[in-house]
Amino acid sequence: MVVKKHWQSFGELTGSDSFKASSEKEFAEELPQEGIDSKGILDLKSPRRDFLKYLGFSTAAAALAASCEIPVKKAIPYLNKPENMAPGVADYYATTYTSGGDVVPILAKVRDGRPIKIEGNELSSLTKGGTSARVQASVLDLYDTARLRFPVQMTSNGPQQITSFDAFDKMIAGAMGSLGGAPVVILTSSITSPTTRQIISEFLAKNAGSRHVQYDADSFSGMMLANEACYGKKAIPAYQFDNAKVIVSLGADFLGTWLTPVEFARQYSKGRKIDEKNPEMSMHYQFESMLSTTGGSADERFVHRPTETGAVALALLAAVGGNATAPALGDKLKFGVNEAAKSLLGNKGKGLVVSGSNDVHVQTVVNSINEMIGANGSTVNWGTTVQTRQGIDSDFESLVADLNAGKVGALLVYGVNPVYTHYAADKFKAGLQKTKLTVSFNDRIDETTELCKYAIPAPHFLESWGDAEGKTGYFSLMQPTIAPLFLTRPFEDSLLRWSGNNTEYENYFKQYWTGKLGAVEAYQKALQDGVIEPSVPSAGGATYNGGKLAESVAALSSRKIGTGLELVIYQKISMGVGYQANNPWLLELPDPITKATWDNYAIVSPEYAKKTWNLDLANRRQADKYEVYPEKKVVSINAGGKKLELPVLIFPGIHNDVVAVAVGFGRQSAAQDKTQDKTRDYIGRAVVGAGVNAFPLTSYNGTTIDWFVPDITIDQTDKTYSVAQTQTHSSYEGRDEVVKEMTLEDFKKSPQEILDERAKALKPFGGLENFEKEGTLFPYYDKPGIHWGMSIDLNSCIGCGACAIACHAENNVPVVGKSEVMRFHDMHWMRIDRYFSGDPMDPDSVQTVFMPMLCQHCDNAPCENVCPVSATNHSSEGLNQMAYNRCIGTKYCANNCPYKVRRFNWADYTGADSFPDNQVFTGVGKLDDSVIMMNDDLTRMVLNPDVVVRARGVMEKCSFCVQRLQEGKLKAKKENRPLKDMEDVRTACQQACPTEAIVFGNVNDGTSRIRQMREGNPERLYYALEDLHVIPNVNYLAKIRNTEKISDSITES
Amino acid sequence: MALLKYESQVRPPLVAGDKHYHDVTEDILRPVESNPTMLWWVGFIGALALLGFGVFSIYREVVYGVGQWNINRTVGWGWDITNFVWWIGIGHAGTLISAILLLFRQGWRTGVNRAAEAMTIFAVICAGQFPIWHMGRVWMGFFVLPYPNTRGVLWPNFNSALLWDVFAISTYFTVSLLFWYTGLLPDLASIRDRARLKWRKFFYGVCAFGWSGSTKHWQRHEALALVLAGLSTPLVLSVHTIVSFDFATSVIPGWHTTIFPPYFVAGAIFSGFAMVQSLLIISRKVLKLEEYITIEHIDVMNKIIVLTGSIVGCAYLTELFIAWYSQNKFEGWAFMQNRVNLFSPLGWSYYIMMSCNVLSPQIFWFRKMRRSVVVTFFMSVIVNIGMWFERFVIIVTSIYRDYVPSSWTVYYSPSIYEVGFYLGTFGLFFTCYFLFSKFFPVIAVAEIKNILKRSGENYKAKMGEAEAETPEEFAHEMAHAH
Repeated sequence: MVVKKHWQSFGELTGSDSFKASSEKEFAEELPQEGIDSKGILDLKSPRRDFLKYLGFSTAAAALAASCEIPVKKAIPYLNKPENMAPGVADYYATTYTSGGDVVPILAKVRDGRPIKIEGNELSSLTKGGTSARVQASVLDLYDTARLRFPVQMTSNGPQQITSFDAFDKMIAGAMGSLGGAPVVILTSSITSPTTRQIISEFLAKNAGSRHVQYDADSFSGMMLANEACYGKKAIPAYQFDNAKVIVSLGADFLGTWLTPVEFARQYSKGRKIDEKNPEMSMHYQFESMLSTTGGSADERFVHRPTETGAVALALLAAVGGNATAPALGDKLKFGVNEAAKSLLGNKGKGLVVSGSNDVHVQTVVNSINEMIGANGSTVNWGTTVQTRQGIDSDFESLVADLNAGKVGALLVYGVNPVYTHYAADKFKAGLQKTKLTVSFNDRIDETTELCKYAIPAPHFLESWGDAEGKTGYFSLMQPTIAPLFLTRPFEDSLLRWSGNNTEYENYFKQYWTGKLGAVEAYQKALQDGVIEPSVPSAGGATYNGGKLAESVAALSSRKIGTGLELVIYQKISMGVGYQANNPWLLELPDPITKATWDNYAIVSPEYAKKTWNLDLANRRQADKYEVYPEKKVVSINAGGKKLELPVLIFPGIHNDVVAVAVGFGRQSAAQDKTQDKTRDYIGRAVVGAGVNAFPLTSYNGTTIDWFVPDITIDQTDKTYSVAQTQTHSSYEGRDEVVKEMTLEDFKKSPQEILDERAKALKPFGGLENFEKEGTLFPYYDKPGIHWGMSIDLNSCIGCGACAIACHAENNVPVVGKSEVMRFHDMHWMRIDRYFSGDPMDPDSVQTVFMPMLCQHCDNAPCENVCPVSATNHSSEGLNQMAYNRCIGTKYCANNCPYKVRRFNWADYTGADSFPDNQVFTGVGKLDDSVIMMNDDLTRMVLNPDVVVRARGVMEKCSFCVQRLQEGKLKAKKENRPLKDMEDVRTACQQACPTEAIVFGNVNDGTSRIRQMREGNPERLYYALEDLHVIPNVNYLAKIRNTEKISDSITES
Repeated sequence: MALLKYESQVRPPLVAGDKHYHDVTEDILRPVESNPTMLWWVGFIGALALLGFGVFSIYREVVYGVGQWNINRTVGWGWDITNFVWWIGIGHAGTLISAILLLFRQGWRTGVNRAAEAMTIFAVICAGQFPIWHMGRVWMGFFVLPYPNTRGVLWPNFNSALLWDVFAISTYFTVSLLFWYTGLLPDLASIRDRARLKWRKFFYGVCAFGWSGSTKHWQRHEALALVLAGLSTPLVLSVHTIVSFDFATSVIPGWHTTIFPPYFVAGAIFSGFAMVQSLLIISRKVLKLEEYITIEHIDVMNKIIVLTGSIVGCAYLTELFIAWYSQNKFEGWAFMQNRVNLFSPLGWSYYIMMSCNVLSPQIFWFRKMRRSVVVTFFMSVIVNIGMWFERFVIIVTSIYRDYVPSSWTVYYSPSIYEVGFYLGTFGLFFTCYFLFSKFFPVIAVAEIKNILKRSGENYKAKMGEAEAETPEEFAHEMAHAH
């Protein structure tokens, strides 16, 4: 084939030079590439393409240079590494939580020299590792910015620093010398420490005429005096709720604030756990004036007026066959008393009656009741006595009188704050002024310290040596977990020094215990264990002497029962009497019942609200209006000649004629004037504006302090005050997908009911067995290896909130302050939902459910598929995990979470934000001072270095304590053995729980506790909102009530 | 000679006022070529001020966090996403008018399409602000873009409806912008050609991309218009469908609803047309364009409003029916308690929505009402209020009380910066609109000339002359015609 040549021009045809030249060049014109051959490439004057390169590089370089300026932070390694301490590895030291007499054996988790978390000491047979919210939060008190940092002399110009303890001791010695023989009084809270007691007695021996007065703000003197009369012992017996099949509490909040709640909760939970094969549980009657935390767990509740307390006790005594005639009571109350009596008599020796009253006569009658039902020696254990409360009210009264009479030369105040907690603080204040030498041993300049002449900073218990004997024979030791942060000196050291003993307390303590235990090894073992306990639990009764009963019966019979409004003063589980008042974790912990934070308030009944404000909480329309706005009405309470202005919260379960106010709030320094007010500096930044002080409303009846006021009036004001509640809707609206509860009787009759219901609901989607696989269009994936799961027993949960604080501490959950809680910006990863059912107008019918709610770690999580950037995703171990760095904060996941457990960082709560200086601002969303306080360098020492501090703008939520899981896994791996749950891994909430309501572990491990829990409780097991097919990894065990019926939803539909 | 004249009066003319081609150019380009009026300045500065407040509001939010808004742990989306969906909805009419009506050969669209398209683009820009600035860490917002990156295998989550939004909206914006701009080219060239000032000649010259009006240009222009119309038609339907997936694919009762896609699209067209009405009624008055944007236009658009409003109404009732029919406890609660119950904390919003969207548009069944400028303007505002509440009802009243009663809260009221952000988008919208009306012709000059029946009009005018003549004169004239 001939190849044809096509040509376009003559030049191409002929192949002329000009054509060749032009065809070699791509472009007709000269390209602006100057001098490429004459000079090197580096000398070019940026040709066109290079220009773009240069532009790109210089922009990138400039951006890099501008943005990568990261401040250099130097991490300095140990030059000589201390033995037994590896940076980044936590050490646990056994020590003891003490506060106002309370004793809880604990372990302190110490990371790189600073305690960051409290865990319960499982070697203690009393608490078995349980803790309370206050115990969990106490680690934050160590880093409190308001702590007194050096010894001071209080002058009219405020506290003046004294440079050294020697100088201080000299001043004190001088002052002591000039007392002229006037006695020295040591005023303390209940002293449980045997060494401290010994040091005090040594000091007293050196100072003739001096004495030791113990004062408890929440005293048990009524009980102790009654016991003195009945048993010849001015002491409190150990109660054994674990032996009790019938528990009758006459207003004792024994799971929350009464005596040793952590221990009681542990004992109580024993009777509340259900064995499905043989379902039995204890019967708990609660007679009280307001709905307490304990009342929330009761099977049967009956409310009465505070002035009826004696009558109820008498009626119960009469009903159990005691020597009393039953006074007239309302029908319901009478019925309740008879029911309780029947149960008690039917379970002789297995019943227990306790009373929260501080009235000698009531306690005498209760003693008699316990005698009649055979409790003495079984549930009332006199083999050991409780020492956490030893104060007798009258002792303090006579001290106040002595002070005012000028009979006291020197007053040494340690661990108490009567100016705040005493009903007649003015009298005490006047007495203080008249006393020549007043020294306070305190961690801060509180109300009392401010009025003393000298103050010496007391170390936190985590910085101290010490011991405590909460119950006789049960010791718990204390050892420092950190070098003292400030120039502090233990109380004991001062006393030793001032009594001329130059031994340091540390050595004194060591000698004491080595001597007592016989050998240094034993002492070291004891320190390591933290507790010393009798090998056989001490148990036994005491001889009862009913001699005083008739007198008490007569006294109670003659008491007038009120007809008007009455006031009851109570303690909140978070605050108690206020020793840990400046603790933002505790202030932000929602009250178990009211779910209110940061304040106290007056609780009134729905009936009162209906009567007074025509506000009907049973009416949905009005309830909606009431509950959604935080602004609550303010009333002025006139009680016993004193006035108190408080916001009102309306809650069912309180007696219709009772108003309840909590103590522990309303801290205030001496100068009330705004410009002079030192509360912020002296007591703490978090307490400013938190509630009002209700202690002045308590009164002295001649023997003991009364915590109620019989006849009060309420004046309406037109003011409102905002109360920050984390939960505003109290009914679960009959949504049994969320909460399942049954009566014990029904459960015995048809134990399969819950299982059948679930099976029925899931039947169209594969049934119980195959729901996960067949309830979806998507493929099913196996879950090999570890799969984490949690089980929460609603029957054991008492709503105490220890888990919530443990979670705070473990996971660096930020404090957001009242103003942010009010905007529903609370950050708790672990919350306890509280629901009521029953008729709000009938307090007896009100039933309470506590439901711990946390991320359910759904295997088919709705939050995961909506995140546009996969910031939240699923781990191969079943964890729903958050990659904070990846989160861009669309909040879509939170919206799509059916459990609403996701928490968003609305502002820079933690100071971890990339924007500097954006925590302090005014206007919308202004952060409270408490948030700023939590970001102080000192306070930040509490942060757990294993958990990242989340920046503003990212979502966070429960991680199942993934850092703990990782640690556990590594431990098992290093020891080359399979993971053992309970030993290797426990979540913070699980560890803190005093009732073991939470069980956690690997569900793929056939021997794990969680597996046993699920397999052992198929009839109570359920998953919240199971039919959504989100496949949660948290299951609940339905609540079983030992009562006749489950109350209906609280609002009418 | 009366026999020669026969005129059909089936449809009124699309452009009134017996316009010549030159008149059209003059009328429409007058605002572009003259100095802005006092009214324009007042409006423009007002819009700028609103925009400034919006920028400040966003500044607060970016620096101090989303806590500057009153949304909370339960109500994670409030005004932000409500406004987003609202603006996106408004952005629907423009493309619908330009694309779907072009394909359906609706001649009347030429009077309104330019302004409607501009409105679409500005509305989409405004809408886009909300998903961007509602992010807690907006500076990390680029994580949603699927590009090969240094973060290993980290890609966005293609399961997330929010990511679909990113693609849907950016596609819609791009296509709408192209469509609008290609339509502008002939007009920009006209302005260039008429320009007397040098900078104007340069500016419009650059903008016109060298349009010379050659037949080839026109041919390609029209082909492109058809292609883009074909592309945007499915987009009109898809964008709001995908926006509705944000809710429909969730598990929240009140959100998890299969009816959402058609219901959202109808609602979007409904609100889009209402917004077009609001804007055009003002524009035709202020820019004196009553002869181009006639009562006929208003009438036609009101018909669409009553149609889509009724579709939306049907959707509302269907939702209620299904809430009852499904016997799903949670869905029942979301509808019967959170919405229908007037006395529930946010129940009132449901009734605002119902009355504004379903009841009040029914007034347009009456021709007199459809053709009343005052009623139309009032109704167009009402409809957009109603449609805002529709989104508020869907978003907020569903989540503020969902599954777990312990977490129920209420979304009390927006903070000043939340309102400021919304007002800021109005500022942005009107700033853009004012600039647009000053620098670009608000009516497609070239396109409206297509529907001008000039030769017919000339013929009619000539017929008048012929009619006046006697047959002799006429014959004479004919005979002497060149």
